[in-house]
Amino acid sequence: MSTTLWDTTGSDITASLAAERHRAGGIGGGQALTLVIVVAEHEVAAAEQAATIAGQAHPSRLLLVVRRPADASDRLDAEVSVGGRLGPAEAVIMRMYGRLALHAESVVLPLLAPDAPVVAWWHGPPPDEIAADSLGTFAGRRITDCALAPDPLGALHQRAADYASGDTDLAWTRCTPWRALLAGALDPVSYRATAASVTGEAGNPSVALLAGWLSARLGVQATCMDGDGPGITTAEVAVETSSAAHRVVTICRPDGRSATLSVSGEMDRQLPLTRRRLGDLLTEELRRLEPDPVYAEALAAATATADLDARPSSRRHIWRDPMAGAGS
Amino acid sequence: MDRDGPGANPLRDPRDRRLPRVPDPCTLVVFGVTGDLATKKLIPAVYDLAGRGLLPLGFALVGVGRREWSDRDFERFVRQVVGEHARTAFSEDAWSRLAPCLRFVNSSFDDDAGFDDLVKALDELRTIHGTQGNAAFYLAIPPSAYQVVLRQLHRSGLCHAGPGSSGLGDLGLHDFEVGGPGQGDSEMGSGGTDTARRRGWRRVVVEKPFGTDLASARELNDLVDDVFTKQDVFRIDHYLGKETVQNLLALRFANTLFEPVWNSHYVDSVQITVAEAGGIESRGEFYDATGAARDVLQNHLLQLLALCAMEEPVSFDAEALRLEKRKVLNAISLPADHEHYAIRGQYEQGWLAGRRVPGYRDEADVAEGSTTETYAAVRLAVETRRWAGVPFYLRTGKRLPRQVTEIAVVFKRAPHLPFAATDTVELGQNQLVVRVQPEEGVTLRFGSKVPGPAFEVREVSMDFLYGEAFTEASPEAYERLVLDVLLGDKTLFPDSDEVEASWRVIDPLEAFWADRPPFSYRAGEWGPLAAHSMVERDGRVWRRP
Repeated sequence: MSTTLWDTTGSDITASLAAERHRAGGIGGGQALTLVIVVAEHEVAAAEQAATIAGQAHPSRLLLVVRRPADASDRLDAEVSVGGRLGPAEAVIMRMYGRLALHAESVVLPLLAPDAPVVAWWHGPPPDEIAADSLGTFAGRRITDCALAPDPLGALHQRAADYASGDTDLAWTRCTPWRALLAGALDPVSYRATAASVTGEAGNPSVALLAGWLSARLGVQATCMDGDGPGITTAEVAVETSSAAHRVVTICRPDGRSATLSVSGEMDRQLPLTRRRLGDLLTEELRRLEPDPVYAEALAAATATADLDARPSSRRHIWRDPMAGAGS
Repeated sequence: MDRDGPGANPLRDPRDRRLPRVPDPCTLVVFGVTGDLATKKLIPAVYDLAGRGLLPLGFALVGVGRREWSDRDFERFVRQVVGEHARTAFSEDAWSRLAPCLRFVNSSFDDDAGFDDLVKALDELRTIHGTQGNAAFYLAIPPSAYQVVLRQLHRSGLCHAGPGSSGLGDLGLHDFEVGGPGQGDSEMGSGGTDTARRRGWRRVVVEKPFGTDLASARELNDLVDDVFTKQDVFRIDHYLGKETVQNLLALRFANTLFEPVWNSHYVDSVQITVAEAGGIESRGEFYDATGAARDVLQNHLLQLLALCAMEEPVSFDAEALRLEKRKVLNAISLPADHEHYAIRGQYEQGWLAGRRVPGYRDEADVAEGSTTETYAAVRLAVETRRWAGVPFYLRTGKRLPRQVTEIAVVFKRAPHLPFAATDTVELGQNQLVVRVQPEEGVTLRFGSKVPGPAFEVREVSMDFLYGEAFTEASPEAYERLVLDVLLGDKTLFPDSDEVEASWRVIDPLEAFWADRPPFSYRAGEWGPLAAHSMVERDGRVWRRP
């Protein structure tokens, strides 16, 4: 089921993966994608759990890269598991020590499933510059999570500055149920929006992105207001319908679980709007592997950055040595 | 900006693939809500749709049945049904979305008062749930009751949109609202004009079998098309809702690899199998009057044949697709020699999956000495340039060794083999098999060298399994089809012309079989001997699925 390799090499991992597959009866032949997860040691369990949930829906090869401090001596430890505790997926968990952590691609590249899409996910503070992480340059889709940054809104602006088509952020994924509900509530009438606002926990990047999306789509400036949370608590859109009636649609979720939908002139409705698990967010992200232009619009509006959709979709690796200058 | 045009919701964007395509606010009315179809397929499908967030905010499910039930009783009933039959595990979230949407109306099929109650219920739902007067009527009832219910729908004015009225203007609106040519798959969700939206739409869903022969099918078609309008009638053939059946279209028309060999130059024959391990369960009375040919061959098998044999549609919209299917169905010819190429059978008692099962004539509600067939196999031809000379072998049966549906395209042998004759003894014919169920996927069989010093070629399989490459569980066919009804997308629904064309294939067979008793086969074997002789006569064998 699983093999642990201490102080090993990339070639040994490849051989061990082949052996594990063979032992499992050659299952897992149809890998739809390779998911590369960059994660810090203390978050490994959370990332594994999320990947296992996502793996139920998206058979994938899982490559988990844990970068240990660069000042240790170079070493590679790995655990290879097929059809084991990580669900049906083929998984390799790698711990890279020393300078090797800066050259993770030398181990990861040969392990990518042949010609299948590659998704990179940083479960932790997003890198300032994705191009500086070699693992981000060969991934067709890059998933970050601004909510995990020390300064989430700053990180969101940095994502816009560094944006390339194919980037996405879990703060955006968290908006999907809200967006579906808002769009659904406004489906029945044709309308022109007059005002919009989003309230939520101070500094929550999802609040900014949801407001950005509303601004971009409705052509009015949606305001962000600080509240207590958790997450997004209220979203409100005021519209004038084609029959010149005024309507306000309000979705209010004070407890992170259940929402009240109020539309002027109609009875209030209670709807489930649960904050989702990390694994569910990841599942949604893996469902479509093409660039998300709607995210680009929302991000541009949220951060007042122009021309996001004109950015190229691929990055070239930029070599930066974090040790340079530190030692001398 | 053009997206601010009338009728469009600017929050919807076709590029926004995360937001699901959700139908207009509407009511789904299910007649026969306590029946088998509703409890095993329909209600679970609605629940699963609710769980996936694919139902509109303004939605109501109205059950119609002959029970003294309150809405609360109905809610308990649905809760139980969902627990037993839903595809996904029960979740409070999904349930809390569906539970407030449930209503029950106590009525028999021919009860004026009951239908008047239904009118009232729909009017109430319009205000309480904001369903906007849109309603789809699902007739999950025996076909014999269609007529009565349709007449009641007509009498009560339910078949016409607008608050409890039947206006002349309605027909025009229907034309406008539903599935006109050119309304593509992806852009349907928010379709319709403001006027149509205010008045609402009405749709009706009928289940197979559509009639028992060409004449009765015509009569039924005329009746539903009359009571509703032609565009608002959805005929369910649940096979078309299956992912793998739709994948057949992707396989053929999205790839370059298969289409060049998809013709009589390369294809030797096509075998389509719909095998069931089960018997007739509690459907004895219905089945005994119907038989395998009407129950499965007329609809599922011929639809599978049509999708397999049709030319490339000019687009993937409802009308273009149906046009191509219709051409194939009209081009089907029966063998001149019915005696040897149209075989029907009936199972006798036998052993299946390790237990003894009774013969067909001993099943409940089957007439003594019944000559109804439980197995049918037939060789058809498609009279087009593409398929000239290629036999299509179709078979279906009950109490066969395993439950399996597949389409096998068998290719011709290589015209010349440069190997020694002994090297290719184990080489069969190349096959492309689309497994519709179970283990949804595609298998390609071809020859490969056996490792070793001798040059020996043997058959191997290359397998694509849905579960491995995509989500673990594909949605149930009914989920997809119910959603399409609510969206007004008719791509996956056969229309009356197709139904009638199919009966034109079946009617002569039924006439031929009328005074000939079926061959018998033991439960648990692959059909009667005569069916095997049928293909052997052509120098072929049935593939063991």
